[in-house]
Amino acid sequence: MDHLRLERFRWDAENCCGCKSCIWVDPIYVQGKDYSIRCPSLQRFKFDSYSALGRLKLALAILNGSMKITEKALDIIYQCNLCGACDTGCKRNLDLDPLMVLEALRIRAVAQGAGPPPALAQLIRRVRDTGNRFGLKRAKSAAWIPEGIKPSNRAKIAYFVGCNASYKNNSIAQATVKILEHLGIEYALMEEESCCGHPLFVSGAASEALALAKTNIEMLSDAGASIVLTSCAECYKTWKVDYPKLLDKPTSDMPYKAVHLVELLAGLLAKGGLRFRGPIEMKVAYHDPCCLGRLSEDWTPWHGSRGPNGLTQPPKPYRRGTNGIYQQPRQLISAIEGLELIDLPRTRENALCCGAGGGVLDVYPEFAAFTAQDRLQEVIDSGAQAVVSACPYCLDSFQVAIQSTGHLLKAYDISHLVSLALLGHEVAQ
Amino acid sequence: MISPSVYKQFKDIVGKPYISHDPEVCQAYTLRNRGFHGAEARLLGTVPACVLLPKTTEQVSAILQICYQHEIPYIPASTFWFTQAGPRAENCLFLDLKRMNELQVDSSALNATVGPGVTYAQLQAEALKHGLYTMVPGGGSQASVVANHLSWGFSPLTYRVGMANRRILAAEWVLPDGEVVGLGSLATGDDPFWGEGVGPDLRGLLRGSIGWMGSLGVVTKMCVRLFPFQPERLRSSGVSPETFLVLPTHRIRWYNFLCQDLKTLLEMMVEIGEAEIAAAVMRVPRMWRFIAKAESKEDFWEQWNRSNNKEPKDSSELLRVLLVGYTSTAQLEYEEKVLMAIAQKYGAVSRPAQQRDQSWIQSADSVSMWWVSGAFMSVTGQVDTIDCAAATSADMVKLKEQYTPPLVQDHQDPGWFQATDMGHGGYLEFLNYWDPRDSEEMIQLVDRYYHLDGPKCLVQRGALSFFIQTNSPLSLDGPHFGPHYDHWTRKVKEMLDPKGLSNPPGILDAIDQVIERAPWLKKHKDW
Repeated sequence: MDHLRLERFRWDAENCCGCKSCIWVDPIYVQGKDYSIRCPSLQRFKFDSYSALGRLKLALAILNGSMKITEKALDIIYQCNLCGACDTGCKRNLDLDPLMVLEALRIRAVAQGAGPPPALAQLIRRVRDTGNRFGLKRAKSAAWIPEGIKPSNRAKIAYFVGCNASYKNNSIAQATVKILEHLGIEYALMEEESCCGHPLFVSGAASEALALAKTNIEMLSDAGASIVLTSCAECYKTWKVDYPKLLDKPTSDMPYKAVHLVELLAGLLAKGGLRFRGPIEMKVAYHDPCCLGRLSEDWTPWHGSRGPNGLTQPPKPYRRGTNGIYQQPRQLISAIEGLELIDLPRTRENALCCGAGGGVLDVYPEFAAFTAQDRLQEVIDSGAQAVVSACPYCLDSFQVAIQSTGHLLKAYDISHLVSLALLGHEVAQ
Repeated sequence: MISPSVYKQFKDIVGKPYISHDPEVCQAYTLRNRGFHGAEARLLGTVPACVLLPKTTEQVSAILQICYQHEIPYIPASTFWFTQAGPRAENCLFLDLKRMNELQVDSSALNATVGPGVTYAQLQAEALKHGLYTMVPGGGSQASVVANHLSWGFSPLTYRVGMANRRILAAEWVLPDGEVVGLGSLATGDDPFWGEGVGPDLRGLLRGSIGWMGSLGVVTKMCVRLFPFQPERLRSSGVSPETFLVLPTHRIRWYNFLCQDLKTLLEMMVEIGEAEIAAAVMRVPRMWRFIAKAESKEDFWEQWNRSNNKEPKDSSELLRVLLVGYTSTAQLEYEEKVLMAIAQKYGAVSRPAQQRDQSWIQSADSVSMWWVSGAFMSVTGQVDTIDCAAATSADMVKLKEQYTPPLVQDHQDPGWFQATDMGHGGYLEFLNYWDPRDSEEMIQLVDRYYHLDGPKCLVQRGALSFFIQTNSPLSLDGPHFGPHYDHWTRKVKEMLDPKGLSNPPGILDAIDQVIERAPWLKKHKDW
């Protein structure tokens, strides 16, 4: 996969001007001293080396041969959520691709045999051996299907449940299929659903991720589906962005369309196709999952060259996080009577990661917990009674953080609230 | 190398998580070669031996005492952006001050007390909550409030609030030997509300000529003035990269005017100041207008080249004015009437202005300067008179022609002009872009322009630039300004930092050393 090699991103590493837009929230959205840092890694480890700015310098030193991927370098490379906050910040004013450098560093670490860290290597093995990130037996995956729910054998829409909702947060999958049933949307489940490959890609195991991508795409095709519906932001981004990236094809050329539940529902809402029942009285803060927000824009490959002043030929398309899925979940929440939506200081493209991303939860759980606590405090300070997200990993992070603090705040996936508002009863979590 | 025993002493002061001598960590704290410190980075730049993240003044003091005892050089840096941060001496400690981020606004006394890790974006946001404001400097809102106040922090809003170094009240200063000095009211108490204090006013010493850039110890706390603003909330809006503050137009408005030429624009600028109206008055460099509109680097160049190839050439000049009804809508309305009368007098044509603020009130899009070609530096940033600004600009335009290429062709753009201090002064910043991937020969020409001919041009004109410390050799400009400001600068330095440990070679000899090490510069040294 030459197109993802670190060498391809030398220009991006070299041309960092050190402005630290990768660290700070867009100044237009800074609301004071608190919550003005967007980079979880820098927030936790403090040294500039734990930011895109530092990692770009590290990448350059590796490219120039003055530094090797040592154990410390590996820590710096992997103590990062790959949340893309740096990338969006950088691209407010510059045309650099810091996130590509961060991903390429991991791919290089794996290619050289230095990475991934043992916990991620184990995770890769689990996915390889069992088809899911938890290492659980495949048969258990269908155990979540609620009584009375019968997906079609074959449909245009395939609901890709994902490891988390299949094996852990079943309530998200259950809420999702209940919503689909209630709305009369025909869907199928993939017969032998495997992990989407997100853990492989973020580990830097690009070849294995590519192989899994091909298998999953083939299975989707065999199932006769052209739409992959997800309730997991990580799965969504993997199908929409990472598969095309690995295959070096534009998202628009993929033989399917990836759709997140909130997109589907917001589309119906706009057409008057959603009727919510009685009110849910609650102040809720919406947490933008990185993979649904700033990281979810379509992928477009670029194979050009650079001329004078770094000008690209043909012009390089940039993913600046502008067109992420920000409005749809907010539209849904706002449409539910009684719910009061509170915007957090770090919102949309400036949102702080929940802490789980980039394999951090698996390798550095203490770092993941630190970030989740930071974000939780932001929610608490906002006056919200609950935090709502659209990714099971975000839900996990917040639930653990709430548990450890003993705070009365509640955490929901958006599927929980929508199903409650539509069906009038809460799906058991 | 820092010896293990000394390293342990440092570790005991800051705590294990806040010290590192791992090369992979230290690598992040090196100079970049994409602008103001290009030649320095290439010729003097090195990796620090150790990075420390102190939290308190006491910790900084203890660290500096050990440095003094063991003669260990160090460089203090706050937000590590746009400063001389980045070691140019071997075995240097790097003091990353970002954890010193205390921020307290005293709305009744119209001031804020900040640590060096506080940025302007943070301070401005907190100030606005209290109906107060400061300026966000041209360097960007991610600049450290403390560091920027120690030099000549500057932006369009300086027009009304004055240069940053004049807004310092009390401060806490750790001298190079570790002694802590309280300035202003901190000399006799713990309330930093006032800049005056017993004995001589040391704020001038602290500022030096144009800031010491970390060469005279560490300022760990500073109280800075804030100013009353209008009371309406400025709502944040948009998604990156198009984010902006929505202006309450009955209290704040931007105005654009096309003037027939630079002379008319500058005369209009002076008259606006004389009328004692406006919150900001500036000439927008032509390139900025294209940067603001472009969707990408490629788009910028396409639009820019198309415009420059068009005949007849557009010679109009854009004057941008911000009016604020600080006290009332009536104030805004009055100022607008005066502004329009002045515009009419000079034949300036009013152009549409979006009533939103992307840059200057809370943000400053300085980073876009690197967007054009990948490298940027200003060869002068000066606060003098409008006449001096105009004359220097004319000199620089001529000089720049000789160096284009390698400098990007900007078609004799005279630079960024602003009125300062309600028209009492004039500001010029002369902007330069080049391709950092150009041939070595071309890069050496950029060095020559920036470190030799540019400074010589300024010396000849008598224009004192606040970039003098990033581009001009002290041995060249020292004898001319002051005169011999180099002598007293050295004396102050020797008195307070006799061992020369604070950011060596710092503002004293860095550029002289660059010239000595660069044969392509040394052969042109004629002073």
